[in-house]
Order: sequence, then C-alpha cells, then structure tokens
Amino acid sequence: MSRFEALLDAFFYRPDEDVSGLLDFAAGSDGLASRVVEEEPTEYLAFRLEAECYAVPILTVREICKVPLLTEIPRSEPQLLGVMNLRGELLPVYDIKLRLRLSDVPPLVAGPDAGLPPRAARILVLKTDAGPAGVWVDSVAGVVRLKPSMVELSPAGIRGDRDCVAGLGRKGSQLYILLDPEQALAP
Amino acid sequence: MSPGGKALAEFVAEATEILDALGRDLLALDEARDQEADPEHINGIFRAAHSLKGLSGLFGQERITQLAHAAEDLLDRLRLGRLTLDDQVLDALVDALDTFQSLLGETSRGEEGEDLTRRTRAMEDRLARMGSPPPAVEEDPLERLELDASVRAVFTEYEEHRLRENVRRGVALWCVRAAFDLSDFDQGLADLNARLKPLGEVISTLPSSRPGGATGIAFDLIFGAKVAAQALEAGLQGTPAELEPLAVRPPREGEAGPAFELPRSPDAAPAPPESAGNEAAAAPRVKRKKKGPRSQPLALEAGAPRSLLSADAGASEPDTAPSGAPPSGIKALPSGSPPRMRAVESPSATTLGLQSAASAPVPAGRPRPEETSLRSLTQTVRVDIGRLDGLINMVGELLLIKANLQRLAETSRQDGTVALSKLFGQELSRETRQLERKLEALQEGLLEARMVPVGQVFDKLARLVRRIAREAGKEIDFVSTGGEVELDKLIVEELSDPLMHLIRNAIDHGAEGPEARLSVGKPRRALLRLRAEQKGNHVLISVSDDGSGIDEVRVREVALSRGLVSASQISEMTRRELLNLIFLPGFSTRSSVSALSGRGVGLDVVKNNLGNLSGIIDVWSERGKGTAFHLTLPVTLAIVRALVVGVSGRTYAVPLNSVLEILSVQPQDIRTVERREMLDLRGQTLPFLRLGRLFHLPEREVNRHFVVVVGLAQQRLGIAVDELFGQQDIVTKPLGGRLSGVKGISGATDLGNRRTVLVLDVAELLEEGIAQERRRA
Repeated sequence: MSRFEALLDAFFYRPDEDVSGLLDFAAGSDGLASRVVEEEPTEYLAFRLEAECYAVPILTVREICKVPLLTEIPRSEPQLLGVMNLRGELLPVYDIKLRLRLSDVPPLVAGPDAGLPPRAARILVLKTDAGPAGVWVDSVAGVVRLKPSMVELSPAGIRGDRDCVAGLGRKGSQLYILLDPEQALAP
Repeated sequence: MSPGGKALAEFVAEATEILDALGRDLLALDEARDQEADPEHINGIFRAAHSLKGLSGLFGQERITQLAHAAEDLLDRLRLGRLTLDDQVLDALVDALDTFQSLLGETSRGEEGEDLTRRTRAMEDRLARMGSPPPAVEEDPLERLELDASVRAVFTEYEEHRLRENVRRGVALWCVRAAFDLSDFDQGLADLNARLKPLGEVISTLPSSRPGGATGIAFDLIFGAKVAAQALEAGLQGTPAELEPLAVRPPREGEAGPAFELPRSPDAAPAPPESAGNEAAAAPRVKRKKKGPRSQPLALEAGAPRSLLSADAGASEPDTAPSGAPPSGIKALPSGSPPRMRAVESPSATTLGLQSAASAPVPAGRPRPEETSLRSLTQTVRVDIGRLDGLINMVGELLLIKANLQRLAETSRQDGTVALSKLFGQELSRETRQLERKLEALQEGLLEARMVPVGQVFDKLARLVRRIAREAGKEIDFVSTGGEVELDKLIVEELSDPLMHLIRNAIDHGAEGPEARLSVGKPRRALLRLRAEQKGNHVLISVSDDGSGIDEVRVREVALSRGLVSASQISEMTRRELLNLIFLPGFSTRSSVSALSGRGVGLDVVKNNLGNLSGIIDVWSERGKGTAFHLTLPVTLAIVRALVVGVSGRTYAVPLNSVLEILSVQPQDIRTVERREMLDLRGQTLPFLRLGRLFHLPEREVNRHFVVVVGLAQQRLGIAVDELFGQQDIVTKPLGGRLSGVKGISGATDLGNRRTVLVLDVAELLEEGIAQERRRA
C-alpha cells in the first residue's frame, strides 16, 4: 500500500469504521438525537501467526508465557508440539498453523534437535472445555476492543478445514481473523 | 508400634465410632422421653450394640463383648416390643454406654482393672434383669386388622410387632401396591422407599399376590402413614404406587388406650395421624397452634383429644420457648399444662441424666480424669486421600529443589577458585545432605500414612465368598492370610474389583460341586485361599483353589473358535502360553452365561486393572488339582523408582518395578525371525523392540544397545535404548484429559532440570509388541 493509498483509505468512510465520536459530534451540532445505540465492545487478544493477525476472546486466555522447553510426545498428532511444564502443571502445546494451512510441516521446536525459539514467540495458555492447552504464536500484538458492528461473522471462503475461524474483525485498516479456540484445538 | 498395638489402635478407633453413633441415637431417644420412641433409633442402637459385639469379639475384648451381648439382648426385647422403653431402661442404657466408654479407655491403655470388671458384671446383670413386661392387652390389636392370614404368616416377629404397635396407636395403615419392571425394580423400590420414609413407616415389604405382568414384579408395602391421605397421594405422585387403605375394626368396648376410627376411604382425612406426623415443619406449626381452638372440633371428632394435645404441645414447645411468652393459643387448650411442663423440663432432664450417669460410677478417691473427660480415646485422624496426594506432590517438588541445590553446591565446591567460595561450597553441600535426609524421612512418613492393611479388602471378600458360594450351590472353605500386609490406599481400592472377579471365577468355574468333589476323592468342601505376602518392594497376592483346574483343551478350542489365535500359532505354544490366552479380551470358557462370572468381561479386565497399578498377574493351573493366580503389586504408586534411559537424545523413565534385568547387546547378537527382531536370552527367545524406531525418532548409529527387559504377567519384552542414566524416585503426573489417548506413555515427571521427562507405560508397550507379533503371524 503506497503512502497515497493509505491517505485516501483514511479519508474515505467505511461502513465498519468506528465513527462514534463523529456521530456524537454531529448529534450535538444539529440537535438530532443519536440513533446509534452504544455498543459494548469485546476485548480480544491479538497475535501474529506467520504474517497474519489473529485474535481470540481475551476471556479464553489464561496466561501468556515465554516458550519453555517442550517435550515431544512420540506418535502424537502432528499439530501437538509437545508438553510443557508450567509451574508443575503439565500442559499440551499445539501448533494451529497446520490447521489454518499457514504451513505444511510442523515446526521442529521440541526435542534435542530443536533450536532456540524465536525471541518474540510466546505460548498462549487457553482455557478450553477439555482443560487448559498451550498454543504457539509467533508474537503477541496486544489487546483490541471490537464492537459487534466491527465483526463480520463467519464469512464464506475462509481457509481451514474446520470452522475454527469464527469471523473477521476490522478496526481501522487492520484486519483480525477471529479464532474459535475450541474448534482450533479440537482433535 | 507393634502389630498388636496397631490392631488395638484400630479397634479403639472403630469402637469409638460405634459408641459415638450409639450415643447419638441414645441421646435422640432421651430427648424424646415420654413420647413414643422412634423405632429407627432403637434399631440404630441395636445395630451399634451388635457391631460392637462383633468387633470386640474379633479383637478378643472379652468384657466389652459380654456387655455388648447383654445390651443387644435388652435392645432386641425392646425392638420386638417385649419390653417397653421406660425411664428405667433408658437410664440403664445410658449407664451401659458409659461403662463401654470406660472399658474402651482401659483397653486403649492396655489395662484390665478389677473395679471395672466388677462394674461390668453388675451392668450385665442389671441389663438382664431389666424387663417390666408390656402392659397387658386384652385383645391382640392385630386381630382387628383385616389382613389375610396367609399374609400375616410371612411377617417376621419384628414386623408383626411394628404392625401391632401401629394398629394400637391407631395409625392409618395403607397397602401401597407398586409394580416395577424386573430389570430395574431394585432401583424403583429404593426410590419408593425413600419417598415413603418421610411420610411414615414402611412396616413390611411383601411380594404382591397380584402378578406384575410378564416382565414385571409387584410389591405390597404395608405402610403406617403419619400424614393425611391427600399428602400421601401427593407424595407418591409419579411413582407406580397404588394406595389401598387397610381396614381396622374398632376395638371392643372398654379397651384401654387411644383408639381412632380409621378412614374407610382415602378422602376422609385422618386427622390424628396428621397431628402426630408434623414434627418436621417448625414454622407452620406455630401458626397452626394459634388456630388451635379452631382445629379442635376436628380432633374431637377423631375421638382422642387428650393424646393429640399432649403430643402436639410437647412437640411445639421447643419452638415457642425461645420467643419467651408462649403463644396465647396454647392457653386455650384444655388441660394442656401438665404435658407442657414435662416437655419444658425434659431437655434439661436429659442433660442432667447424662451428666449424672457419666459421673456417678467414678469411684471416689480414685480420680480417673480420662473417664469423665470429653477427649476421645482414639489418636486417629481421617484424611482425604486427595490431600495426601497433594502433600506427596509437594514433597516431589521439594526433592527437585533439593537436587538443584545439590548441583549448585557441587559446582561451587569443585570450581571454587577462591578459598572462601570453596569453604562455602562444602558448607552448603553438608547442609543439602542434611536436607536430603529430612526430606526422605518426610516422604517416607507420607507414604506410610497412605498405607492400609490389605485385610480391609479381604474382610469384604470373605463376606462375598459366603454369598457367592450359597448362590452357586457350592461348599467353600475360605482361608485368608496375610491381611496385615500393607499397601497404598489407592492400590487397595483398585484391587478389590480384580480380586472379586478372581474369587468369583474360582467359585464359579474352579470349585466343583460337593458331589463331584466326593466322586473324585476330594474333601466335600472346596478350599479357596487368599494370601498376601510382602516381598521386598512388592506385595504378592495369590488367589488359589483346589478345584478342577483350567481345561487346556477347552482353552485351545475356544481360542481357535473365537479366532483369537491361528492354528499354526497354537501348535507352537507352550502350556504356559496357552494358559495365558485366558487373559485375552473376549475369552470365557463357559458356554452358558452365569450370574456370577462370564458376562463377556473377564480376565482381560482383571489384567488391565492390574496393569494400571503396574501389577503383574501370573496363572498356574493343573487339571484336577486347582488353579492359582499370583498378583505382584508395587507397594505404592505415589512415588516410584524409575530407570532413566536415553534414546536418540531424548530421555524417558521406565518404572523400575516392571524392569526385570538390563542387558548390553552387540548389534550382531540381534537375530531376525520372519523379519522380526529377537534376542537369545539364556536359551529363550525374547522379543526385541527398538524404542527409537517405535517412537519414529531419528535413529543414531550405536555400537551397542542397552536392552531393558520388562515383564508383565508371563510376557517379556526387551526394549532397546541408547543410554542408561541411572535410577531416580519420580512422582508421575498423568498427561491429562487432552492427551489421554497417547499410547505407550503413562505420564510425565520432572527430573530436576526443569525438563519434562515422559514415563513409559510398560503394559501398553508390551501389548503393542505382542500385537505386532500376532499381526505378523
């Protein structure tokens, strides 16, 4: 995106844009009551996998930790990277890039032949129905607040062999792929 | 503590519990003095006395046994209504409880005082002499009950007594008829009983004379209702029960005691039972009390104002007392004050009675504080096993920290360039050794706290044997030894089902009937032996019988007909391997399914359960001589010793209790039989499994293999690894919900370097090795 395009993009109004401030301003100026009901934004934790930005509801995240030593589980499903020991608790760690078709082979991050994990990589410990599970992310981007109007639920034509993409969130020019943790970690 | 001391402590703990229960029921009776005694409480006391008699007899506590016997006698007479529960009897029982307590106190101190023995004798005499005969009744109230004579004939003495009592008191009697499906009638009946319980008393449960359909069974419950017909009907809403009132003829003229006209139809509300049964709801009762005068006419109609009033006033008094002034409604009741006075008095009289009973028998001049003190005699604390698990885990973590400290100390001692640092390192390592010793003591203590005698299960099984033998029509002598051998509580719990199954098998399949035994020259009664024995770190439990043994020919046929093995395989099998086939899933030699065993689940379940406990099962059998199952179990699972091995740079732990030996093998020693690798171990072939290959790990070139020989049941397997790192005590953590499907791994542990190490599941690896063998064949 060139600089001009970015400028133009910022100039034009998009339907999903957060313009509540402007509307408030407009409502005050011409005496018209705002017909926009105040929406309750939901907080999401945004993170990067390869070059794309994903997000999960922040309430499903128990904690974020640096990548510890992982122990591979022999003969397990390919997306299971291994187990980690988090303060005495044994947690499985998954790679969801395979399921999202972001990569074809699981990364070598566990076992004696694994190199040091990238500095920015983190493990998100997610709460799921089947117990806590770790998910490898390339980096954590931060917390975003998305209003329901900014979320487009389960658009067609999203990659992945399962419905692990719950929707698309748009805030400004940034696109967030919203993940359903249960589905993404389903066996 | 000596074994005898330990047994004694167990006795004291259990007896204290029984006495506590007895005391509670006695107190309940005492509080309800002057009222009709609740048969539930009398039964509870009777049962407590009975268990105390049995328990003390088991531990040879002569004095307690005799006194308990005397008390049981008295209570039995009470229960059957041959004796009325008056103040005298109640006081005697309270005194007896106190004597029990003193006796138990002496027992726990290992004494046998002359004084107390004399007191016990006197108590026994007193209990035996108790017994004012029940007030004479001119007519047996049961005669008034219109009940078929054939039905009456099947009542037990106790049931008859309860029925008579209910008729005498004029309780509305119902016949509750309910039909259930055969498949779940026990459940349905239990539900019905639970529903009926708060509404009154189930006097007897009889099979109904009316058949309950083709697949059903019907029962007649003789029920004495405390509530009105509508309430009873409402309470039974949703159950298959039908109500039918049992008619009672009015008593003849001039008979003493209250008598009510019983309702002939369900819609005529029986008022007296309503008033008698309202002890539960407190608030509404006070309210109704105020309406007392208005409800009076109804009660008068029923014909027994006096008894109704006293019962009602007595029951409501505790509610009104705290509020100070009694509600004005009570004043309106005629002749209500004498019973009310007694009702107010009775709680204080209760406590007084108990106190005086407790302090009176203490001989003057010999202060025995133990006897009057409220301190309990037992030193036992009941702890939830989960808490102990938590503590064990904590010790495991502490051990890891200790290992880290030790490493730190070692490096600073060796690499210390400055003299000070070297000295400091020495000091540090000395302290860590100290810490190590204390931690080991702590760990040992915790493990010991989890230990329970295996006899707990044996006793339950002994009862089971009698029942099964009766059902199967066999005559069995059951001998169990080694009940004092201790095992981890969790193992003992998990062990009961497999042992039960083996015992059922032995009775059902093993032991022959008495005639068959006599005809082959064996004693009439079959011998079933259950034996436990400690062998080092393991406990050996064997279940053996002197029955007909396992029929190898049948085993061969069944295995072939079920397609469990091929004909060529079976021809090569040794006798031992053949016997081992009985552990395969879906194997049962009985063609007919019996109620006891042979439901399709069989020895494979036993084997699996034992596998979960890291146990090994072995079978021995000889035609005509009998069968024996030998179970080898680790003493505990909480902390196990493990062999730490390395494969392709990965580290794994193998529980040492399943490791038989370790070999060092050159690659040229490995032979292949039909593309399957084997080892020759002292003339026997040993299946050989490369762990790296099984786990799809990158293989490394090695000039020798270490082979860990593991065994489970008769199966042996050599597992090849690259390196051996040594032994370590580990606390295994299960992999948890998400990873429960992983095969060959039973859990993970931490070896102190913050690295998670997987623990191999030897049973599953063996299973896999053998399954491979079978697939190839």
